[in-house]
Amino acid sequence: MNRRRFFQLTGAAGAALMASPDRMTSVLGAPSSTRDLVRFPEKTEMILLTDRPPQLETPIHYFRQDLTPNEAFFVRWHLEGIPTSVDLRTFRLNVSGHVRQPLQLSVDELRSQFEPISIVAVNQCSGNSRSFFEPRVPGGQWKDGAVGNAKWTGVPVKSILDRAQVKAGAVDVSFNGLDAPPLPSVADFVKALSIDHARDGEVMIAYAMNDQALPMVNGFPLRLVVPGWYGTYWVKALSEITVLPNVFSNFWTDKAYRIPNAPNGTESPKDLAKDTVPINRFNVRSIFVRPDPDETLHPGMPNEMEGIAFDAGYGIRRVEVSTDGGSTWADARLDSEIGKYSWRRWRASWTPRNRGQYRLMARATNAIGETQSKEQWNRSGFMWNVIQQVDVKVG
Amino acid sequence: MTPRIKSVVLLVGIAALMAGCRRSSNISKEPEHGIANGKMDSMLDAKPDSPVHTIVMPHDEPLFPPGPGHDEFVAACVVCHSTRYITMQPRFSRTTWLSEVNKMKNVYGAHISDEQVVKITDYLLSVNGKPDSGQAPKGTYGE
Repeated sequence: MNRRRFFQLTGAAGAALMASPDRMTSVLGAPSSTRDLVRFPEKTEMILLTDRPPQLETPIHYFRQDLTPNEAFFVRWHLEGIPTSVDLRTFRLNVSGHVRQPLQLSVDELRSQFEPISIVAVNQCSGNSRSFFEPRVPGGQWKDGAVGNAKWTGVPVKSILDRAQVKAGAVDVSFNGLDAPPLPSVADFVKALSIDHARDGEVMIAYAMNDQALPMVNGFPLRLVVPGWYGTYWVKALSEITVLPNVFSNFWTDKAYRIPNAPNGTESPKDLAKDTVPINRFNVRSIFVRPDPDETLHPGMPNEMEGIAFDAGYGIRRVEVSTDGGSTWADARLDSEIGKYSWRRWRASWTPRNRGQYRLMARATNAIGETQSKEQWNRSGFMWNVIQQVDVKVG
Repeated sequence: MTPRIKSVVLLVGIAALMAGCRRSSNISKEPEHGIANGKMDSMLDAKPDSPVHTIVMPHDEPLFPPGPGHDEFVAACVVCHSTRYITMQPRFSRTTWLSEVNKMKNVYGAHISDEQVVKITDYLLSVNGKPDSGQAPKGTYGE
């Protein structure tokens, strides 16, 4: 088929759509409160943001479980060329650069030759909850589901770098995956950490997620895990580690994924920050998982409110809940801590007395006194942690 | 990995768009009351014993209505990404859409002329636009 014929076909299809009002609504109608669900390979039904490359959001009810099931874990790729087939007989993790002993490791060698560790850690997209920023900003229009909590098992990057014998003067370590740009002009997606961060013994290469192989769209066979840091650093289908004697520089670090160098990454739409830094560790936030916003509660009936709270690993120390739109607050009960990088569940009992509308709010505070913001904005829609409001009806 | 050859990618993109013309059946609506399906087990694809692990990606790309700039939009944009990159956005002003299209050209290297930038911006405005408020934020990167 030549290009002309192709455009004739799509034009004809478009015309057919125009003639069909209900289809038009579903294609380009007004924004709807419901979103499409889609099923990708090895995944359950997920909220569809985009299909190529895939961006899939986790429905909130999965957060009623402490560990997010692999098949429901959110998905976010940048480049059109994502890996869809991996041959474990030929796949190698290459370690090179400023080292004495470059390595080529198979997944079997990673499993058998290194002492494994497991860490339960939250992974959250930098742009989670972007759709709540006002004024709205372009980008993946996530609600609260670009986050998940999993038990990651694998090898500390430190163990691998020790075997590779890093030379003196190493500065950064870069991480590249199997994904590929659709055009030569698009920068390959590569991220870097400082040598000290990469060697902290917690940054790890995971070959298992909740004791199973990773789904392909979550980074099979290997994924970088950077506990407490935003998902942009958690390189999927990790295949290349390069130790550098200089500061790493590329588009995805120099231009993309930067935040204002200001408290909580906030700036004004009228006065954009000139000083920006690469996004890094999580701020503190909490998310309601119960009740459902659309649920109708009943006067005099006890309710159990529930949610999750997490931060960069300092630890959640307090969650306060309000049922009157923030006028009064009461401490929620915290479940026991699963691990410092895991989220922590909170619960609060509430018996609404009267019929009417109630505004529920939750505010988390961590061990270094960081708490959630009342308002926040930045041009990229990163690091949302405004105190959540859930409006429920008692009737 | 090294970037693939453009012509191959263009073919892949077109093939993907054509595949998208068939609305596949794996899309449904998010239930309004959230709580759904407990039948996780049946949704898992069995892991093959084979050392080669392969998946087939579904494509569900909305078709866009004809209009001025439609062909430029299809030719320039779907090579690298799904049309859902447009439909998932809220309605944006001309300032924001123009900024996005210019980003695709200048930063990611989309093969479009300045004239085509304007045509594509007009088209995006016609399908998912709103009047300029004078304060619309310009897009940045990595979002």
